[in-house]
Amino acid sequence: METYIIKRDGKKELFTIDKIKNAISKAFLAVGAFATEETLGCILSHLRVHNGATVEEIQNQVEVALMAEGYYQVAKAFILYRQGHTEDRETQQRLDFMMNYVQASNAAEGSKFDANANVEHKNIATLIGELPKQGFIRLNRRLLTERIKTMYGKELSDRYMSLLNQHFIYKNDETNLANYCASITMYPWLIGGTKSIGGNATPPHNLKSFCGGFINMVFMVSSMLSGACATPEFLMYMNYFIEQEFGEDYYKRADEVVDLSLKRRTIDKVITDCFQQVVYSLNQPSGARNFQSVFWNISYYDRYYFQSLFDNFRFPNGEAPHWESLNWLQRRFMNWFNEERTRCVLTFPVETMALLAENGDIKDKEYGDFTAEMYAKGHSFFTYVSDNADSLSSCCRLRNAITDNSFSYTLGAGGISTGSKSVLTINLNRAIQYAVRNNIPYQAYIEDVVDLMHKVQLAYNENLKNLQEKGMLPLFDAGYINIGRQYLTIGVNGLVEAAEFLGYEIKDTPEYAHFVQELLGIIEKKNKEYRTRDVMFNCEMIPAENVGVKHAKWDREDGYVVPRDCYNSYFYIVEDKSLNVLDRFRLHGAKYIEHLTGGSALHCNLEEHLSQEQYRQLLRVAAVEGCNYFTFNIPNTVCNDCGHIDKRYLKECPHCHSKNVDYLTRVIGYMKRVSNFSEARQKEAAQRYYAEKQKAPKC
Amino acid sequence: MTLALNLSGCPCHCPGCHSQHLWEDIGEPLTNELLGGLVERYQGLITCVCFMGGDAAPEEVLRWAQSVKQLATTSSPLRTAWYSGRPTTPETAPISLAVFDYVKFGPYIEELGGLKSEKTNQRLYKRVGETWEDITSSFWRKNL
Repeated sequence: METYIIKRDGKKELFTIDKIKNAISKAFLAVGAFATEETLGCILSHLRVHNGATVEEIQNQVEVALMAEGYYQVAKAFILYRQGHTEDRETQQRLDFMMNYVQASNAAEGSKFDANANVEHKNIATLIGELPKQGFIRLNRRLLTERIKTMYGKELSDRYMSLLNQHFIYKNDETNLANYCASITMYPWLIGGTKSIGGNATPPHNLKSFCGGFINMVFMVSSMLSGACATPEFLMYMNYFIEQEFGEDYYKRADEVVDLSLKRRTIDKVITDCFQQVVYSLNQPSGARNFQSVFWNISYYDRYYFQSLFDNFRFPNGEAPHWESLNWLQRRFMNWFNEERTRCVLTFPVETMALLAENGDIKDKEYGDFTAEMYAKGHSFFTYVSDNADSLSSCCRLRNAITDNSFSYTLGAGGISTGSKSVLTINLNRAIQYAVRNNIPYQAYIEDVVDLMHKVQLAYNENLKNLQEKGMLPLFDAGYINIGRQYLTIGVNGLVEAAEFLGYEIKDTPEYAHFVQELLGIIEKKNKEYRTRDVMFNCEMIPAENVGVKHAKWDREDGYVVPRDCYNSYFYIVEDKSLNVLDRFRLHGAKYIEHLTGGSALHCNLEEHLSQEQYRQLLRVAAVEGCNYFTFNIPNTVCNDCGHIDKRYLKECPHCHSKNVDYLTRVIGYMKRVSNFSEARQKEAAQRYYAEKQKAPKC
Repeated sequence: MTLALNLSGCPCHCPGCHSQHLWEDIGEPLTNELLGGLVERYQGLITCVCFMGGDAAPEEVLRWAQSVKQLATTSSPLRTAWYSGRPTTPETAPISLAVFDYVKFGPYIEELGGLKSEKTNQRLYKRVGETWEDITSSFWRKNL
């Protein structure tokens, strides 16, 4: 009978003894010896080559056989020979990767390991950023498994690697060494400049140095994070410096000319020029970040949120921030940014409007109306609605309980600091199907895996603490980030698909709600169990346009039931046309998000913009349903021929009538061109169902 | 925020109609339970219920609109609307319109287009006291 072996590229090949003989003979020659047919026969007699054996397995057997026969020097030569070939293959792989990247249709598609959302074009700088990614993954895994071994033993470390390799769990952002994302307090910068984080800038002392210094500071902070940098105080601080320059009532005199140069600029023009400087600078691809721009988020507040967060806040000169002027500045910035986006594709900042809800409506009516007005004007941003100003979402993925609204003269406002140190995600679809197949109650299996995930996260945390002890994390030491308020995040993906497998209808039914609550309840229970004075865990439904596609692909290859090419990042099926807008809000309402303590933003995809009154009603719907984090997503049209950007979803450019148009849409919180997404993300964008506006009266 | 119900068996048969499937007698029969269930499900979230069609039996539409008004509560009032394909006006309508807050009249004529077209023959009216105001132009959305 013929025996087939598996080559390194996965192909089958008829097994012949000659290749092995040849390799062994070469190893003998390498140490100045010669292998006779008889010697070769003795060595080969140790080998057991079965059908489907891999080349690596056979070579391992050869090593053992050489040693068993006492040819230790030859075995060493053979091992070195193998190592040489391995290294050569790795270089070849890198070369292949490089050639593929160069030929790929866009930067995200070329990236094999972890596509960055904030890279628009591919070039030599982005290629340089891609090449070491595989190395980082290995390094991170090694660091983590070594730590797990020390803390919990080899068995747990092995199980982690096994679950990771079999795609039961996914370690997010393994291609970077830094902790994930953070919402920072800028107070240390305001009083000390950037010296404490390794820079040389003195504190900002006027509007100009604030804007310039802010840009540098955000670049510095971002280089020490692998994800987003949120600056929820940006407009508040800017307002302070404008007041210092033009007086507390500057917003009442916005038309006043204050520039003695030939430009004769008004206060309003000076301010919008500052907006332009900061926003355009931070949207630039950054040299030190392999041509990525920074991920930058800001927040707006209604009157009640502002009071709750900043009531005790004092600037270094002893002054409190002023709501009236900040209110004007928030509106001015939002309107300016909305208009600017018709001139240029501007991804950052990602904005979140924080609104307090009361009795089924937005408490601050003025801000409810303003929020609806901005949506109706076509502006794209997130809204966070809470019954209580005790939590805040300052980053696309994070919601944090505000445990401490105190103000400190060294660290500033306590409430805004949050972040995620590391995200580890469970693939629920695979885990549940595996449990059912093996007659294990899936709840018990999930609990078991989630327990392991907590231990892995604690191991990660120890590594981070170790780095901090060695002075490697100045953001923490300088107080920009409070390590005690940073979460270790348990992510979930494939929840809807798991529910479908178990036979649930993905609708607002008591059964589906119970399934979601029970499942996420297991994670929340563990989050509480593992919480200590120093460590906090949260649970988020990760925005998985990238991971969702990977999971679907891997699970399908391994024979699991996979109903679509990209696992949902929502509690409903994104392409389900039978669900209307209200159903979607309800499926992201209080019942479903109860146990989610991290992000889960409803991306309400619409085909057309609604009127201000309609958006206002949807804000009420969000308040009634308890859907706390959402955005409306209407693809914007960008003309590939004349460059015109239109806030509507059009088939033809209204300016030059070209049909060669592309769309801007939101994926994981970031607006960018659909054609610049990776194939995986383009797939998700194509699957979305943009609910058609009903032909009904405006009311 | 409107809950819209398509009433099938449309007798108008406008050439170029985008919902020709509604010419047939299809879907579920509209019952008190069905309407009551739908309204209850979205009560507090919707502000209006709209009947699309029903020209084969306008008096039935009137009856359903009355039921909607009965389902409305003070905390969640409901407006009612009727989209008819008949070439009438509020003055010449086949039924009393007292129960409606919005009405649309006019067949679909391909060359003139639907409500979104500025050439449209179709008219949408809003009740203002005892009279009707033509608000068709509100559909002609300007550039954002």
